[in-house]
Amino acid sequence: MAGIGGPIGHWITREMVIAFAVIFSIPFWINAVGLYQYLGVEILIWMIYALGFNLLLGYTGKPSFGHGAYFGIGAYAFGLAQQHVVVNVWIGIGIAILAATLAGAMVAAFISHRRGIYFALMTIAFGQVFWFAAVKWHALTGGEDGLQNIPRPDVFSISLKDNEALFYLAFFFFVLVVIALWRLIHSPFGKVIKAIKQNEMRAGFIGYNVRLFKFMVFTISAGIAGLAGGLFAMAQGSAYPDVMSLHVSGLVVMMTLIGGGFVSFWGPVLGTVIFFLARDILGVLTETWLLWYGLMFIVVVMFKPEGLAGIWQDLTRTRVSKSESVDTSLISSARR
Amino acid sequence: MDFILNLLPYIVNGLSLGLLFTLIALGFMLIIGVMELINLAHGSLFALGAYLAMVVISPHVPWLGAFGTWYLGLPIVLRYVLAVVMAPALVAVVGMVLEVCMRPTYGKDPLYGLLLTFGAALVLEEAIRVVWGSAEQMLQVPQNLMGPFMLGGMIYSKYQFFASAFAIVIILLVWLFLERTPYGAIIKAGAHDSEMVRALGINLTRLRLFVFGFGTALAAIAGIIMSPIWGLRPHVGVDAVIPAFLIITLGGVGSFFGAVVAGILVGLAVGITAGFASEWSLLSMYLLLIAVVTVRARGLFGKKSILEA
Repeated sequence: MAGIGGPIGHWITREMVIAFAVIFSIPFWINAVGLYQYLGVEILIWMIYALGFNLLLGYTGKPSFGHGAYFGIGAYAFGLAQQHVVVNVWIGIGIAILAATLAGAMVAAFISHRRGIYFALMTIAFGQVFWFAAVKWHALTGGEDGLQNIPRPDVFSISLKDNEALFYLAFFFFVLVVIALWRLIHSPFGKVIKAIKQNEMRAGFIGYNVRLFKFMVFTISAGIAGLAGGLFAMAQGSAYPDVMSLHVSGLVVMMTLIGGGFVSFWGPVLGTVIFFLARDILGVLTETWLLWYGLMFIVVVMFKPEGLAGIWQDLTRTRVSKSESVDTSLISSARR
Repeated sequence: MDFILNLLPYIVNGLSLGLLFTLIALGFMLIIGVMELINLAHGSLFALGAYLAMVVISPHVPWLGAFGTWYLGLPIVLRYVLAVVMAPALVAVVGMVLEVCMRPTYGKDPLYGLLLTFGAALVLEEAIRVVWGSAEQMLQVPQNLMGPFMLGGMIYSKYQFFASAFAIVIILLVWLFLERTPYGAIIKAGAHDSEMVRALGINLTRLRLFVFGFGTALAAIAGIIMSPIWGLRPHVGVDAVIPAFLIITLGGVGSFFGAVVAGILVGLAVGITAGFASEWSLLSMYLLLIAVVTVRARGLFGKKSILEA
């Protein structure tokens, strides 16, 4: 991980404190730098989504090109719960997480024994099935238009109509997700999934039930995507099938990779910020910003697949002792 | 009996769709076979081929001047044939550039190649949007290919029959090329064991470049044939790449015969479902894939390959 600071106890690290402090302060200065409050909300939601996704891509080495499905299911579940069950944030988010987790578990049961590219292909197939259902099942999802007028309920009699209030609700969930994921990754469970990333077959030979671990990672990742989706539905006031498309599913892959999800816990967070800044700053200059963003992604994959966090680590590596760098090169050559 | 007779048009539709799907999947299959790479940009190259063909058939370029007017005066059949030759050649060049970009990822985790082609798909789609706009466009085809005709009391579309026949010809040509020429033998050998092929003194770098160009040219041909049926919008690439990968996964990686069988199966599934629930017809291909792959992990005719590692 990036070399600044070690853990403070088992749950919180210095990096976390810095990240939380910076993000907490966003609403105070975001208007001053010419951006707007809603952007902060959007970035936070996608950070949650990308962090959950990176558990799968960066830590287990399994790409999912259909992750938007679970984000979308979370959004629809939240919207339907608000409209038909009860107007309450906690119940809505709970249902969103539950729905996405169940969908993720169902898909994971089908694909958790697939390896390599077959795994990636099956995630696309299932992602498309959910997207297709969302577009065509008018009675439930409202078709192409999606669900409209999803309310933003009050939390403890604080109105979320204000984007700042919603920002701090999202921040609360962000903190929970970061701490939970950090703990999970630095637990024995985390060690096993990293072993699966390095060599799935060998991890199996050691005696780990690789299929079960992949199942769990996929399900957890889908559940977190569902949480982000629920928040997104609340922020947007609507849920629509577009977020489930292959295109938007791909964006989260790009964010995670450009930021450096392969080598750093904070990669997805960095990548999300870059994406939204690119969208809002390049987007003002040119209509074709996504073209440039895509080209940037290609260049990153070609020359620096470790992403921005990887560049950061290269810059700080000079301080690391030589024996350690020999160590890492041995590990990476053993992966071949 | 009546039931089957009522179903007949759907079966015919399904068969023709299946042949077209196979055509889309052909180039994809070649690239997977030799490069061990899923080319997610296949669909965007498919779309690019169709757009380029549209430009060749009816260019609206003011600076062409008198030549442009003279060119547009040529019979459409001639311009169409020219498009079928030129557009794939241009797309092959784009494909070769993509292959060169891909080189740094060789020997690394196959995930990187997958991610790179994914980025390329996005870039190509955006580029198409920038050049030709998001609105739906039309690819002109010769007049006598248009319109319906009657057969056994049923109405069929002429173009669909032309497209199916075209698909059969291309599939046969590719098969002959792979099975009956020395180049085909090298490609198949490269797919089987690329290290050994290199050891035998064949320039693997050039082989990969060539195969990528060939595969993407096939994508472009499929795009030209398909776009009068599907319409032409920047997003059409996704509609093409999904059946392609689905057919390859279903048929089994590295099996020509498997791809053809899977293509026709998928076409039939979509065509017949359209007879009962047209809204949901495309869903049937995903369900077919999930059902088959659950039972047979490597598809119908698949062999063990490096892609699983």
